[in-house]
Amino acid sequence: MRLFRLLFYYEYLHFKASRGLLLLTGLLLAAGLYGIYYGTAEVARQRQHLAELPDLGRHQVAELQAKFPGPADAGEVGYYHQNYALHHPTAWAGLALGQRDVNPYYLKLRLLGLQGQLYASENVNPTKALSGNFDLAFVLVYLFPLLIIALGFNLLSSEREQGILPLLLAQPVSATQLVVAKLAFRLAVVLGLGVLLSAVGLAWARVPLDGRVGLWLALGGLYCLFWFGVVLLVTAWQRNSSFNAVALLGAWLTLVVLVPSLLSVYVAAARPVPQGLALTMQQREAIHGGWDQPKAETMRRFFAQYPQYRDTATIRERFVWRWYYAFQYLGDQSAAPLARAYAQGQAQRHALAQRLAWLSPALSAQLSFNALAGTDLPAHMAFQQSATRYHDALRAFYYPFLFKKVPFTHAEYARLPTHSFTSPSDTSAAWAGLGQLLLSTAAVYALGLALLRGRAVQSR
Amino acid sequence: MPPILEARDLRKEYPGKLALKSLNLQLAPGEVFCLLGQNGAGKSTTINLFLGFIAPTAGAAYINGLEVARHPLDIKKHLAYIPENVLLYPHLTGLENLALLSSLAGFKYSENELRDYLAQAGLPPEAASRRVGTYSKGMRQKVGIASAVAKRAQVLLLDEPTSGLDPKASNEFSELLQQLSGQGTAVFMATHDIFRAKEVGTRVGIMREGELVDVRPTAALNANELEQLYLTHMQ
Repeated sequence: MRLFRLLFYYEYLHFKASRGLLLLTGLLLAAGLYGIYYGTAEVARQRQHLAELPDLGRHQVAELQAKFPGPADAGEVGYYHQNYALHHPTAWAGLALGQRDVNPYYLKLRLLGLQGQLYASENVNPTKALSGNFDLAFVLVYLFPLLIIALGFNLLSSEREQGILPLLLAQPVSATQLVVAKLAFRLAVVLGLGVLLSAVGLAWARVPLDGRVGLWLALGGLYCLFWFGVVLLVTAWQRNSSFNAVALLGAWLTLVVLVPSLLSVYVAAARPVPQGLALTMQQREAIHGGWDQPKAETMRRFFAQYPQYRDTATIRERFVWRWYYAFQYLGDQSAAPLARAYAQGQAQRHALAQRLAWLSPALSAQLSFNALAGTDLPAHMAFQQSATRYHDALRAFYYPFLFKKVPFTHAEYARLPTHSFTSPSDTSAAWAGLGQLLLSTAAVYALGLALLRGRAVQSR
Repeated sequence: MPPILEARDLRKEYPGKLALKSLNLQLAPGEVFCLLGQNGAGKSTTINLFLGFIAPTAGAAYINGLEVARHPLDIKKHLAYIPENVLLYPHLTGLENLALLSSLAGFKYSENELRDYLAQAGLPPEAASRRVGTYSKGMRQKVGIASAVAKRAQVLLLDEPTSGLDPKASNEFSELLQQLSGQGTAVFMATHDIFRAKEVGTRVGIMREGELVDVRPTAALNANELEQLYLTHMQ
C-alpha cells in the first residue's frame, strides 16, 4: 500500500507537470459543463413550449366560441379544435436528451383520423439535427474515452521511450505494480471529473436524489473502467507510444462510431419496419376513398364497431359530420395492421439493438443513459400509445354529440378531455446495460492482465 | 564466504544469435569485478540477466543466494544499478527523482539526507532543486550514483557508469567505489575503460562474443599489461 501511495503521488506530480493533459482535462470539464447547459437549456425550452400549449388551447377555444356564438355542431368544433397531447420530460432528460430532439414532444390532435396526426412533427433545422445532441451523456460516452486515451496511450511506453524504465524496474517494484498505480491515478482523475460533472448536472437539472443517481454513476464509472481496460490491453502489448495511440484511437473509432453504425444498418435490415409515411398514405387512401364509398356501406362498417349508435337516422344528406368522422375512423382502422406492424417493428428493432449493444459498450452506455432519462425509443412509443388513448377519449367525448345530435354549447369546451404524459425512467433497461458493461469490462481486464503477466516487460 | 553474486552456466540465446555462452562467475562481498569487452560482446546482456530484465535460456543468476528468475523483486532489494546513460523524469528536480528512486527501494530520507547523497555523488548543491530537464548527462549520472549509494545495496551493477563524467568526477566516482567496496559492497562493472578497471577492480574479466575468455586479478597486472591482454583477446 505504501508503494501504491508513493507511485500514485508521483503520478500526480507527472500529471501536474503536463500542460497538455491539464489543458485537455480543462477542455473536457468545459465541454461537460457546456453539455449540461445545452441539455438542460433544451429541456427548459421544451418545458416552456409545453407550458404555453394550454394557453394556446384556451385562445383557440375563445376563437371557436367567437366563431360559434351559440350552440354549435360538434362536427365543426371537432374539425377545427386542436387538442394537445403533451410528453413532459423527466428531470433526467436534460442529462441525456436521447430522442427528444428528433421525435415530437407534443402532438396536435383533431377529431380526424389519428394515424395522419400521430407522426406529424414540427420542422426542425436539418443541420442542427445532423450535429446531434451535445448533452452530458454525449460527453461521457463519446469524449471521455478520448481523455482516457490521451492519459493512457503512453502508460508505460513513455518511461520506456524516455529511458527511465530500467532505473525504475531496478527497484523492488514490478511492472504490474507500476501499471496499476498509473491506471489508478488516471482513473481517479477521470472518475473525479465524471462525478464532478454528474453532480453539477444532477443539481442543475434538479434531479431527485434516489437510486437512479447511483445507477447513473455506476454506468458512467463502469464505462470509464472499460476504456481503462482497453488502455491496459494495449499497454500489455508493449509497443511504442505511437502504436498505442493509433491502436486506441482505432478502438475508439470502432467501438464508438463504426460498430454502432453497422449495428444500426443491420438492425434496420433484420427488422424491416413500414415507414410512418406509408401509414399516413394508407390512412389517407382509405379516407379519400371514403368520399366515394356508399354512405350506407360506410355506416354499416362503422356501426359494427360502435353498435350503440346503430339506431341513428339513415343518412340522406350529401354531407353530415357523423358520416365524415365515421370514414375518418374507418381510415384509421384500415391502417391499423400497418400501425401495429410499425409499432411492433420499432419495438423489435430497439430490443435487437439492446441485445447486440454488448458489441459496443458506447452504444450500451448511451442506450442505458437514455433509458434512465426516459428519452429512448420505448419512451416515445409509450407517449404515442398514450396519445392514441387520448384520441380515443376525444372520439368517445364527441361521438354522443355527433350521433345523438346534441348541440355543442360553450360549457362543453371545459369538459373536453386533456392529456399529459411523462415517460418514466426504464431502470430495468439501464440495469441490463450495466450488466453488459460489466461483462465487457471484466473481459477486457482479464485479457489485459493475462497479457501483462504472460509477457516479460521490456525495460528498453 | 558465500558469493553475493553468482552465475551458473548462465546462457542467453536470441533467434540466430548467442548473446551469452555459459557464464560461470562468483563475486564475494567487497570484490570489484570489471568486465571488459567490445560493444555487443555480451556485457549488458549479463547485467540484464542479473537484473532480471531478460530471462536466461539456460542456467541461473543468483544475488545473495536468491535465484533472479524466481525472486525478481526480492533480489532488487539487494542490488543497485547505474546504466550507461541515466535518464530521469525531466520535469522533476534531482531531489524529487532521488526521493522517488530511494522510496521505491524502501528508504524514506529527509530532504537534507537526500541533498547529502547528491553532494556525495558530486552534484553541485544548487542543482539539486533544479528540474532534471536542465541537467547535463554527467549531472544525471551523478543522481544515478546517488540513488545507488542511497539504496545501501550489497551489489552494484554498473554499465559504463562513468560515461559522460568529466575526469575529475570519474576520479571521485572511483574513490566512491573503493569506499563502498571497503564497506563490503560487491561491484560488477561493465566498462570499456581499461585504466579505470585497473584502478578500481580487484578482478578483471574479458568478454568476447558472449564468452568470458579471461579472468585475472588486477593486482597481477599493470595497466599496460592489461591493455595488451585485452588487445590480444580482441584480435
